[in-house]
Amino acid sequence: MSDRIMGGIGLALAAFYIWAATIIPESFMADVVGPATFPIIIGVIIAICSVWFILRPDPDPVWPSLNRLAEIGFAIAVCLLYAILLPKLGFLICTALAAGYMSWRLGGTPVGAVLTGIGLSVGIWVVFKLVLGLSLAVGPLGI
Amino acid sequence: MEFLSSLGVGFDAALTFSNLGIALIGAFLGTMMGALPGLGPANGVAILIPIAFSIGLGPLPSLILMTSVYYGAMYGGRISSILLNIPGDEPAMMTCLDGYPMARKGMAGEALSLSGIASFIGAIFATIGLALLAPQLVKIALLFGPAEYFALFTIAFATLGGISSTNQAKAAFAAAVGLAIAMIGVDTQTGVQRFTFGEVHLFDGIDFLIAIVGLFALSEVFIFLEHRGSGDHKEQGITSIGRVLAPWSMIRSCIPTFGRSTVIGFLAGVLPGAGASLGSFLSYSVEKQIVDPTGKTFGKGDPRGVAAPEVGNNAAAGGALVPMLALGVPGSGTTAVLLAVLLSLNITPGPLLFSQNPDVVWGLIAALFIANVMLLILNIPLVGLFSRVLLVPVHILMPLVAMVSFVGIYGISGSSFDLILMVIFGVVGWLFRKLDIPLVPVILGILLGNEMEVNLRRAMTLSDGDWLTLVGSPLSITLWALAIIGFVAPMIFGRKVKRAIAEESDEIAVGD
Amino acid sequence: MIRILSAAVLAAVTALPVAAQDKPSNTECIAPAAPGGGWDFICRTVAKVLRDEGLIDGTMQVTNMTGGGGGVAYAHVVSKRNEDEKLLIAASNGTTTRLAQGAFPGATEDDVRWLASFGAEYGVIAVAADSEIDDLPELVEMMKADPRSVSFAGGSAVGGYDHLKILKLAKVAELEDVRQVKYVAFSGGGEAMTQVLGGSITAFSGDFSEVRGFVEAGDMRIVAVLSPERLEQFDQFPTAIEQGYDVTGPNWRGLYVPKGISDETYDAWNQAIQKMVASEEFQKIRADQGIEALDLFGADADKFVHENVAEIRALSKEIGLIQ
Repeated sequence: MSDRIMGGIGLALAAFYIWAATIIPESFMADVVGPATFPIIIGVIIAICSVWFILRPDPDPVWPSLNRLAEIGFAIAVCLLYAILLPKLGFLICTALAAGYMSWRLGGTPVGAVLTGIGLSVGIWVVFKLVLGLSLAVGPLGI
Repeated sequence: MEFLSSLGVGFDAALTFSNLGIALIGAFLGTMMGALPGLGPANGVAILIPIAFSIGLGPLPSLILMTSVYYGAMYGGRISSILLNIPGDEPAMMTCLDGYPMARKGMAGEALSLSGIASFIGAIFATIGLALLAPQLVKIALLFGPAEYFALFTIAFATLGGISSTNQAKAAFAAAVGLAIAMIGVDTQTGVQRFTFGEVHLFDGIDFLIAIVGLFALSEVFIFLEHRGSGDHKEQGITSIGRVLAPWSMIRSCIPTFGRSTVIGFLAGVLPGAGASLGSFLSYSVEKQIVDPTGKTFGKGDPRGVAAPEVGNNAAAGGALVPMLALGVPGSGTTAVLLAVLLSLNITPGPLLFSQNPDVVWGLIAALFIANVMLLILNIPLVGLFSRVLLVPVHILMPLVAMVSFVGIYGISGSSFDLILMVIFGVVGWLFRKLDIPLVPVILGILLGNEMEVNLRRAMTLSDGDWLTLVGSPLSITLWALAIIGFVAPMIFGRKVKRAIAEESDEIAVGD
Repeated sequence: MIRILSAAVLAAVTALPVAAQDKPSNTECIAPAAPGGGWDFICRTVAKVLRDEGLIDGTMQVTNMTGGGGGVAYAHVVSKRNEDEKLLIAASNGTTTRLAQGAFPGATEDDVRWLASFGAEYGVIAVAADSEIDDLPELVEMMKADPRSVSFAGGSAVGGYDHLKILKLAKVAELEDVRQVKYVAFSGGGEAMTQVLGGSITAFSGDFSEVRGFVEAGDMRIVAVLSPERLEQFDQFPTAIEQGYDVTGPNWRGLYVPKGISDETYDAWNQAIQKMVASEEFQKIRADQGIEALDLFGADADKFVHENVAEIRALSKEIGLIQ
């Protein structure tokens, strides 16, 4: 069943992709093959594979229980928040929070998770910023 | 023996106490950067350029530092592939396929030391090839016109079926998804935007690093979250790290692999635009077709499946220096950065370099030898230390992996956009793993998709639309023949494969 | 183009002993591309010379910001750093070409202040050494006789600067449809040249520095240099103009600053950059790189850039590249 759903999504994706390929604007200088041909072929391959998934699905994988799914959902949300807030809060704060959260959810004790978060954040900062001299996001603390 | 005397002069200049120290530091830093997901050889060298300049290193010590870092990163990429199933850089992707299963079998130490030796062999022979044959090898690169390149990239996709012995439709699907992603961005042959929907961040396309880090590293974090507390094997961690040195019998069994993979990897490296990833990919797929066509052991922790891609990518790294030095054409992102280093040292690579600046060339070659010996010395004793990474508790290791991935990607663009993209790739990677869709073809599609399409279109432009141009030279016909063999051979063995899979159906499927 | 992690901060500071009050500190130069490219080189050179000459306080941080052929950096400066007085951004023909063709969405050349141009590299048209083509008139005659019989390779995309040079030439040569001339885009000048050497393509369009080594080695021949006059140090190569085709292709390099900075700051940067260009160190770096002088500062630079954009825009419109 999972493969069939995947096949359905794949078909939708292929349709969208081929449509997006057909609206590629015309260039002032067309070449023989054109910018849309190759993408359309790729879209067709995706579609064929998707039909195959629908007709000949593999056995279902073991999907995690609902609370596990929620766990992953929360982790994804934390990652997205990290991505959005990094330029605003700066590297040290963001990384400590995100790493701490992940450490806690992956089985660390709350205290251990706080320490892991702070430790990783400072450790990575020292290595990347001080040793390698990379520019990391600067936060309100000025570091 | 002009070669030896030239080399002697090179070593004379290179072998000083401080240069050896620089090589050691470079090898160590390079290994670390290679092992960290998101920081590859290109980044490693780029990061160290300003440092080398600011401490006022001369041309030769700078070169030694850069080559040590360059090769160090090639060596280092395998470490995270084997230990964490996360490729440290893109050529190390193939090392995951058998390296991680080996580590799961409690042979992490063997896998690490064997791959260290494999890296050394690939690199040393490639360096010798570079020293002896560079001016002649350049002629090979000139034989490859657009039509030949198109055929070459077709080989990579045609042999994809041989890589994952499971559902072929899923491998094809994965490759097509990768190709579809590669099409995003400005189309160089017409100058129009494709699939960008006016988003300026997409104009240059999606960086394969974002995809690789998201698909492999971040999805691994999600997998761990999924299995936490369920008593699944994933969570228990690996308790045995194996021997620190691979037994001689294992090394001996890999000797033919070393030979084949060196040649394939080196040639792939010599062609600009192919590079280390294609080198390691073709080495692995050829090796699998030769020694294990029925898919009994490859993908399940076969030492030869660890040796082949590591020899291949290090040989390709050496091969990539040929067009860079002799033509001034960088074949990969890393050689592009190395080229910039040479230019800023007032060394202009090109057809004249070998005749006008032999001291630089031979100094560089000596530097390559020194770097590789240093890396071997550094890597073998450190196997024990590296493999202890496996004993780090998951709740510290996985946040570290995730955060290092974010840092690496943020450094590329300095914008949130790429980070969000990486998270999306992480989710897709997790879904694909659940559905048993292989991830390697996705990366392959992203890495090679543009070159494949663009070469087809260049060929067609030059021939004014005559499709026969694609088989217009003996070389391209040969390449097409290889592609067909690579595509058909697994089908012939297909029946045997199915039987073999039926026999071993109780084994855990690995090799995602 | 593979994007690479930002390499930043020239470490190991030879800190200036006395920091004068009026010198800018905590300065930054954005290179809108990965390390190793032309823009990156501009920033690193400027950062180094400004510090060596004591024109800034401390070091200048070099930040790499890739994306959109400089469009991401341009949008970033306009929307987020508009009043940042400590910021320089590297620019070149690539920037003006994309601005002229509207490739930076919603941005125009008036959104920033152009600070300086301090060098130019001129375009060349070259063929393989064993080619039958001897000079530019011969190449142009071939193009006129059958535009599809000639192909050009270059390191920029279709519509990019290497291609525009060929379109300019075709226009000056009065071809009926300049788009008939084949142009094959490669991901860099070196790759393009390999194909010309390999014999798949007739001629190469690129910058002088890209072909120099091959010409000296006897593998390539320059048929025309696209400069107003012969190059100072390489005066053996004829220009297109002296062969009867009025085509120039200067690839200038320079800097811009955010629009919102005060006139005082703009003048201070202007002075600092002028002093930097006059320095021995800068002159030497420029000469080593084979870059000719094209020194325009402040209002002159601003005027030059606007003319440059207008010219490319007019050409692009004329050949139908943009509406």
